[in-house]
Amino acid sequence: MTVERRSSFEGGGGRRAGMTTAERSSPFEGGGGGRTAWITGVGLAVDGLRGAADLLAEYTRHPDGFDPRTALTGREMRHRDRASRLALRSAGAALRDAGLLSDDGGYHGPARRTAVVVSSNLGNLDTVCSFLDTIDQETSKGLKATGLPHTSSNSIAGWVAIGYGLTGPNLTLCNGPSSGLDALHWARILLVTGRADLVLVTGVEPDNEYTARLLADEGERRWPDSAASVVVEAAEHADSRGARARSVLHGYARAADVGAAMTAAAEGGGPLGLLAAEHSALDALPGAATAPAVTDLSRWAGRQSGALGVLQAAAAVAHFDRGADGAVLAASCRLPGGTAAALLCAAPTS
Amino acid sequence: MTLDITGMGAVAAVGSTPEEIHQRLCQGRLGLAEVTAFDTSGFRQKHAYPITDQPPGSDVPMRASGFLHAAVRQALTDAGIADRAATCPVLVGTTHREQRSVELWWRGRHPVRFPDLNFDAGLRAEFGFTDTHTFANACSASLTMLGMAQDLIEHGLADTVVVAGTDVMTESTFGAFDRIQNVPDQVRPFDGSRRGMMMGEGAVAVVLERPGGDRDRARARLRGVGVNCDAAHATAPDAASVEAAVQQAHQRAGITADEVGLVMLHGTGTVLNDQAEAAVLHSVFGRVARQPMVTGIKSMTGHTLGGSGLLSLIVAAQSMRHGLVPPTAGLDELMPEAEGLDLVYGEARAADVALAQVHSIGMGGLNAIAIVEGVTS
Repeated sequence: MTVERRSSFEGGGGRRAGMTTAERSSPFEGGGGGRTAWITGVGLAVDGLRGAADLLAEYTRHPDGFDPRTALTGREMRHRDRASRLALRSAGAALRDAGLLSDDGGYHGPARRTAVVVSSNLGNLDTVCSFLDTIDQETSKGLKATGLPHTSSNSIAGWVAIGYGLTGPNLTLCNGPSSGLDALHWARILLVTGRADLVLVTGVEPDNEYTARLLADEGERRWPDSAASVVVEAAEHADSRGARARSVLHGYARAADVGAAMTAAAEGGGPLGLLAAEHSALDALPGAATAPAVTDLSRWAGRQSGALGVLQAAAAVAHFDRGADGAVLAASCRLPGGTAAALLCAAPTS
Repeated sequence: MTLDITGMGAVAAVGSTPEEIHQRLCQGRLGLAEVTAFDTSGFRQKHAYPITDQPPGSDVPMRASGFLHAAVRQALTDAGIADRAATCPVLVGTTHREQRSVELWWRGRHPVRFPDLNFDAGLRAEFGFTDTHTFANACSASLTMLGMAQDLIEHGLADTVVVAGTDVMTESTFGAFDRIQNVPDQVRPFDGSRRGMMMGEGAVAVVLERPGGDRDRARARLRGVGVNCDAAHATAPDAASVEAAVQQAHQRAGITADEVGLVMLHGTGTVLNDQAEAAVLHSVFGRVARQPMVTGIKSMTGHTLGGSGLLSLIVAAQSMRHGLVPPTAGLDELMPEAEGLDLVYGEARAADVALAQVHSIGMGGLNAIAIVEGVTS
């Protein structure tokens, strides 16, 4: 959990330098006997984007990209709020990409061993604020009964579980700017501790008048509708069904300072090919022989977005999918008073 | 792995420490009061189980954080680790986070800042914690986090974890329940004429540690936590799925049903919850020689949402420590589905209990069931 203990999460045969005896004796270490966490599928539902590969270029709304005006309708979307609809779209795309959906769209993985982890900071702001307006104008009689689930921030993960029948642990992170990376971290913990064999991780933030106003109050740019999902799967489980790794979750660290978090997360992960973070994070990354390329998704997705970390992981998959070299280091944004997180996504070597 | 709960803290409508809460619950004291924090003219319901910390007509932001800090401070002090806790992971389970602060912002009464939306900045400023995790896991949040914390320690990823829950009332949720329920006069779990849930406020925290320290501080011992999701309905519980979570908890704790002496109900007093929970109890304990005692504290604390499971666990720990189980208040006539169950009601019952089973059942089909072992004083 802490920076000091980061190495106990190492996967993919990572170096064991600096580990204590107690850690080395853990039955869940990476490398030989432990559970390594692979990303085996990725899906996006981001306004204007066509797929994860678009995350490696400047943000542009492509005419043939995801269009929330048409893509969030249908019977299966009834009574779901906007964030849940976006999440269902990206989650479905990730499960399909991982080869876990049947032709009829049903999930054919092990439902009880599949967990759901969602990250969102403002997912239900629309329900909370619009309910107040309705109460003021019409009293509680005017409220929609079907809106009740969305007064609680966990409703997105609930709808994702219902959508695919996933009965494993169901977690919702609302952990600020680092929330998306934290969600990936908890996905790995669910695998390492044996609570699950697969984890469907989704980061999502809707764009609506309420999120726009809060962002404006903060001096932040309005963000587009964004959802990204990845399937995080225990390596041996993926192996058993013939699925391949698209990336390997390596180090994770959380610290008061983004530089400390990045240094700890990147330790033992080899040369970096891509830094998915603010450009200024490069200055806080000592010791890199050659400066990695930088992709700063926060410029359009939002520094405070709960989707950001999962978008960064999706960008890592796109980076490896196109055969690029070097690991991908993702970091949350530097914000006053906040804690930073960093995650290293390693190449899918055998 | 059985872990030590070495520190406990809690604040709720009925009391401001675990000891006081247990005492008042055993006296059958209700935290029921008129809601004065916000204008109730748009609601049929005018009552809840609030913490009365502010003058009528005023509502300040960040109360969920304030109660959280109070509970965490109590737990750290109780565990004697206040000076060395900063590196511990802190897992906070909540339904609403600081949504009440957001409501005050939307009403134009107070500004809200992004860092206010989760509990990281506050915990860092108050205690120096950096490894903080805010989970919005509805009304099973705090027990779900207890399960995650146990996993971390069992697998060598941490030695000490602080687990907490906190929630205050929000108008949006108060309004949503006002819309769908027939104005309950109080929370009456397992009563034949129950009409629904009423909101409470409170925060709760425990310190969970790997056993084997040289100190004998265990207030209770955590045996196991079962966690699953119905994946069935957005609000209604699924009895079969809750039962699966109970069986998982027994398996993780290494116990059989006949060892359970006390069940702390989720017991929201809604028609559906109590039916499902009774069905689970009949199924799980149908064949044991002696029925466990069953009680539900939401009858006196209201529904404290994210922290409610952990609050029940703390009350279970106190009940085992003092040999006194609080009654279920508001229970005049047992609902027919509860026939054959050993509900504690009317007055507190003196009892020697070794193992308690604690229920939490959240919206979105989230179940977390904990098995806790008593430590006698």
